Amino acid sequence: MANVPLTRPVALTELGQATLRRLMRVWFEFERALATVPIIRRLDLGTFTRQDYQNLLLNLRPQVIEGSRWISRCASSFDREHSDIRSAILRHAHDEHRDYEMLEQDFVATGGEIDRILAQPKNNGSEALHAFLMFRSGEPNPASMLGAMWIIEGLGEKMAVNWAARIEELTGFDAHCTRFLRYHASNDDSHMDKLYALVDRLCTSDAVAAAVVSTAQIVGHLYAWQLQEIDDGR
Amino acid sequence: MTHAFLTSTGSFLPGPPVDNSKIEQILGLVDRKPSRLRARILKANGIQTRHYAIDGEQRTTHSAADMGVAAAKHCVDESPVPMKSIGMLSCATTQGDMVVPGFGSMVQAGLGIPGVELLTTHGICSSSVMAIKAAANSLSLGQHTSALVVVSELASRLLKHTRYEAAGGFGAMDFNSEFLRWMLSDGAGAWLIENAPRGRCLRLDWIHSFSHADSFPVCMGIGLPTDPDDVRTWQDFPTYGEAEAAGALLIRQDVRLLEQMVKLGVDGALRLIEAGTLVMRDVDHFLCHYSSHHFRGKIADLLDMCGASIPEDRWFTNLYTRGNTGAASILIMMDEFLRGDRARVGDTVLCMVPESGRFNTAYMHFTLVEN
Repeated sequence: MANVPLTRPVALTELGQATLRRLMRVWFEFERALATVPIIRRLDLGTFTRQDYQNLLLNLRPQVIEGSRWISRCASSFDREHSDIRSAILRHAHDEHRDYEMLEQDFVATGGEIDRILAQPKNNGSEALHAFLMFRSGEPNPASMLGAMWIIEGLGEKMAVNWAARIEELTGFDAHCTRFLRYHASNDDSHMDKLYALVDRLCTSDAVAAAVVSTAQIVGHLYAWQLQEIDDGR
Repeated sequence: MTHAFLTSTGSFLPGPPVDNSKIEQILGLVDRKPSRLRARILKANGIQTRHYAIDGEQRTTHSAADMGVAAAKHCVDESPVPMKSIGMLSCATTQGDMVVPGFGSMVQAGLGIPGVELLTTHGICSSSVMAIKAAANSLSLGQHTSALVVVSELASRLLKHTRYEAAGGFGAMDFNSEFLRWMLSDGAGAWLIENAPRGRCLRLDWIHSFSHADSFPVCMGIGLPTDPDDVRTWQDFPTYGEAEAAGALLIRQDVRLLEQMVKLGVDGALRLIEAGTLVMRDVDHFLCHYSSHHFRGKIADLLDMCGASIPEDRWFTNLYTRGNTGAASILIMMDEFLRGDRARVGDTVLCMVPESGRFNTAYMHFTLVEN
């Protein structure tokens, strides 16, 4: 990822800083909400099973495979005044546009049937999450999508750091089964740095900052719903 | 909350300081084998010396109440307020000497304060802040003119080798059950809070706390057996012997969940900043009860990322020399801070007490005033 103009700024503007603080709080709130979702609670309590992991992958794939759609739509919705943002987001879309394949291979490595994961439809939460992301991405200069990226990128880091090792510990699956979760560990650090830069670049008014924060809240709720559906939707 | 002033402090640490090489001589070797995790955990927490209220044969040298009484006398003896005139006695401990009655009753008996209003709070590290807040509220309501807060911890009784031997021995110990053995130690602190300033003292500006037990499972506790699928708590076993054998009387920390503590600690600070209650750049002294040096950098990094950092030279702690005395830590820390004459009139002091038990984070803000 060399030669990318957007890097983490040394000092943010006052509004950028205040927005970042609010985004941090939204993130912490999101983490608390996730901790109450049954499948994640089992991970915390140590009662998470092999079947849980397979269900997690089955329910993540439909949204992951659609991920590059909203990211690229989001990039194309930025006009010429925002071409630097457009290219930063496009690079990101390119980085991750085939990571669902890794997820499918992980499922197979756990003993799952490839046809089963390919046939798995979106659960209700994924449906709502995807629809919202596609809708917001299509708005002109969708600065509020920064809030969506904040949650989705942060999740990559969280999945990798908190979930992958714990899943291996509890299920006995090895690192060949958790490559999708782990992949984000190495990648999302640099993505997060670019997000900080975007906070400063995009949060130029209170209205934009408020839209960014509210989008992050909505995406967090919908993502938690997606994981909640793993237990509720059976 | 302008009717509460911290006018005197005291502390008591039992016995001589114990350095890292001597800990196992006091707590004892489990099944006569040296710990495999000791060096690693001590390196991470950075604690160099601590105190224990048990001797090398694990006999108790001071009870929790004894230590609380000693700290209270140290505090009140330096104030013109007579012990017998104190209106409220507000106490906290993670585990007192008796299961019941409340710890405060034992402290009152030791101090001989007649007819005092009594409170004992229940919890871990943040139980001290609960006791302080209740005392300050009582003064603000005009119910008393003085309140004595006494907090004492005697963790070493939970950490002696025989506890682990009764729960399966050396082979049955895991990181989560052994972790706190190298973290916790003993001591007591006391604060005298009055409804008017006296000399140079700290005005209590506010106390706020945020609990997150609704979101997370237990992170540090005593009472759950080792087997995560066994949902009984210690008194559900037919006998205490069976509870102990199942590991339900061990003090345990879920080290994986502990990482949440840093985020929740910062989350609370961000809430106070957003509400306009806390202005980080105006904080002159930051007394943070982090349990381990490992977390100091993590807290600082996260605050820094949010543009809410406090410069390194404003942090004060005595964790490294006095150990982690749980609920008593913040009182013992404040006592040493004030005796060091580090603060000037007008300086502000922010205290942060994050409790990992089931995640409660507490914050106190003071200003040094002179009457």
